[in-house]
Amino acid sequence: MDLSFSNEQENFRKDVRNFLRDTLKPNISSKMKLGILLSKDEIESWHNTLNEKGWLAGSWPKKYGGQGWGVIESFIFEEECSAVGAPRILPFAFNMLAPVLMAFGSDKQRGYWLPRMLNGDDWWCQGYSEPGSGSDLASLKTSASREGNHYIVNGQKTWTTLGQHANMIFCLVKTSTKGKPQEGISFLLIDMNSDGIEVRPLRTIDGEHEINEVFFTNVKVPIENLVGEENKGWTYAKYLLAHERTGIANVGLSKRRIGELKQLASETKKDGKPLIQDPIFAARVAKTEIDLANLEITNLRILSRAQAGGSPGPESSILKILGSEIGQEIDSLTRRALGRRATIHVPNILDYGYNGPNISPINAATAAGVYFNNRKTSIYGGSNEIQKNIISKAVLEL
Amino acid sequence: MDFSLSSERQILFDTLTKYFRNEYSLERRNEAASSDLGFSRDSWKSIASLGVFDALLKPELGGFGGDPIDIITVFEAIGSGLVIEPVLNSALMSSMVLSHGSEQQKAVSQAVLAGEARPIFAHFEDLEQYEIHSVETQSTESGNAFIVNGTKSAVRHLVGACHLIFSARTSKTSNEKDGISLFMIPLETSGLTFETFESIDGGIVSDVTFSNVRINKDSLIGKKDQAISIISEAIETGTLALCAEALGIMERIKDITLNYLKTRKQFGVPIGKFQTLQHRMTQLFIEIEQTRSAIMNASFWFNDSVETRKKYLSAAKYTVGRVGALVAEESIQMHGGMGMTWEYDLGHFAKRLIMINHEFGDEDHHLNYYAKFSA
Ligand SMILES: Cc1cc2nc3c(=O)[nH]c(=O)nc-3n(C[C@H](O)[C@H](O)[C@H](O)COP(=O)(O)OP(=O)(O)OC[C@H]3O[C@@H](n4cnc5c(N)ncnc54)[C@H](O)[C@@H]3O)c2cc1C
Repeated sequence: MDLSFSNEQENFRKDVRNFLRDTLKPNISSKMKLGILLSKDEIESWHNTLNEKGWLAGSWPKKYGGQGWGVIESFIFEEECSAVGAPRILPFAFNMLAPVLMAFGSDKQRGYWLPRMLNGDDWWCQGYSEPGSGSDLASLKTSASREGNHYIVNGQKTWTTLGQHANMIFCLVKTSTKGKPQEGISFLLIDMNSDGIEVRPLRTIDGEHEINEVFFTNVKVPIENLVGEENKGWTYAKYLLAHERTGIANVGLSKRRIGELKQLASETKKDGKPLIQDPIFAARVAKTEIDLANLEITNLRILSRAQAGGSPGPESSILKILGSEIGQEIDSLTRRALGRRATIHVPNILDYGYNGPNISPINAATAAGVYFNNRKTSIYGGSNEIQKNIISKAVLEL
Repeated sequence: MDFSLSSERQILFDTLTKYFRNEYSLERRNEAASSDLGFSRDSWKSIASLGVFDALLKPELGGFGGDPIDIITVFEAIGSGLVIEPVLNSALMSSMVLSHGSEQQKAVSQAVLAGEARPIFAHFEDLEQYEIHSVETQSTESGNAFIVNGTKSAVRHLVGACHLIFSARTSKTSNEKDGISLFMIPLETSGLTFETFESIDGGIVSDVTFSNVRINKDSLIGKKDQAISIISEAIETGTLALCAEALGIMERIKDITLNYLKTRKQFGVPIGKFQTLQHRMTQLFIEIEQTRSAIMNASFWFNDSVETRKKYLSAAKYTVGRVGALVAEESIQMHGGMGMTWEYDLGHFAKRLIMINHEFGDEDHHLNYYAKFSA
């Protein structure tokens, strides 16, 4: 056993660090550190910066324009990016749709869509969930019926993250009502500018606009936008879910945030001493830090096993559960450390042209909002209850 | 032993909850919360005319209630309606403080009862988390006046108030119990500057800064240097009230969540059929019952010795903080995506419940306090 990184890996880490030092704008990293939602332009511009370096889809095979990174390289990249507050690469195209196209798409689809992802020509969003179908995704109702060279799509998707920016959506739709629900689902790529699509904003509890409802009324979709075979979409979706897991433990992000939390708690006072010296608070921080140190190794263990044996197994549900819970605990401790000032809610504090008062400590501007917003992390991508169901069935065979 | 409310109080509670549920809707509440004032003047007047202030204040303050049990009855109802008007500060705590003042100052609290005045009491400065005696604002005697310098932090409901009641050091250093005095001045006094912020649970909070503010000697409330016991009493009463408000919120969240578990279907059954959710909902139910007991206990011992009062109050506020986070987080989780949306009621209740933990001492603060008492 050896838990250290190889020389090559350490050199790669240095390259990433240097690159980030040279390219990451301070205003962007400040926003990331405060948990502020970036604008469309800001996200696209970061994607472009990475693409110029060839690192936008580092884990893709070289033949598709990636670097063929293994899990360790991807982990190092994510850790370094998180450490300095670089934006997350949006997962929808790169981690979700691309692996499905690579595995099940046609040559034509791969040849067309993958380069467009890298060039930032398309903004993809994910159209799985529906009002009546969340955890029970297979019960989805949005239908696609074949008419000549088109599918006609009717129905509704919801909770669509950043759908307001998207020009493309990949959807699970019903193409058959025969057999088990899972057997009649297909995987369809839909142009958001088609006639009959309407996107309506949904506000999250912190007042942000990051999710949407998407309505489909007789939307015409060319049949070449079907991925793989008709009625096989469920298999592809499950494949996609497994791939979504790679960065899900958020180890790098949580490490940085624990550091920031300790800094904050050394500036706040409790009983005449820094809060971080208060035994109760110190114990809370220590417990979280221990959980995170353990997760770092659990994460690498599971990912390396996946690397050796192909796709990550159901154990990756462990990462989703722990990653979200530890992140949420840090959110909770951060707002606690701010005491009475946690109530302040000024998410536009770093906007260009903001002319409101300064806020000290600046974390107060967003900490409570971030705490509430991140309750989503144990809900989306398969809730933690569903993850536990997976582990108990597939791993423990209960 | 008798755990039931007297019939008058039961009627008061029922009247208030009915009013808050039916006329004071969450939609209007949220609209008022995002207005420039941060609450609704009309609702404030309606609440006054329902007799809420009379129920909260002792006869010597012009009311006909003011017992701990009155306070928890009213504030549980306030919580159940997610009321955003400044009943706690402007009606209850301000009146308590002003009752120690001159006739002129008392007149302001009389005007509150009539719905004509609305003072605001600003005490905390955030040098220290939640420590009551940590006051650094200085008020220095100079001839016939005091000169005030300092900042009061994150004061709710300051916008639109008529008078500012505040604490300041008239002697000693910032962390001692003696040497703090109370004052009341008109909000438009020159030399005051305000910075306002949106609050995560709705409404507006303000930082108010005094820069060489010259105020008359007769602004002093009660005796110079001796205000800590007045402040403590107001904050202890406020703490009891906040605990009850939290309980009212928890009960609403319980109803909302229970209803959702029974009606939301996935996998062909109501999600309340999944045993993991059943047990978690049961846990919330148990913890909310414990919270109610903690608050009853605190109100029962409230008029005992100061030590005993503080001990049970800390027990209650600790419980409210711990259970509040559990109830807010678990109820959102059990709703799935629905729990994350602004358009659904739950989140607004959850936000207020969490932020109550950030007023008058959080879970850890009161746990510490209790431990010192019981050691
Ligand atoms: C901020 C946010 C962004 C999202 N972005 C997207 C997106 O871009 N695209 C997309 O398609 N979807 C998205 N989602 C949807 C997300 O995947 C769903 O919310 C999630 O799958 C849960 O479904 P639901 O909300 O319908 O909750 P439900 O399935 O109704 O679940 C409610 C509760 O019941 C529990 N539960 C359900 N079934 C069981 C069971 N069998 N056993 C035990 N407990 C159970 C759940 O864990 C949860 O606690 C997003 C959601 C959020 C909150």
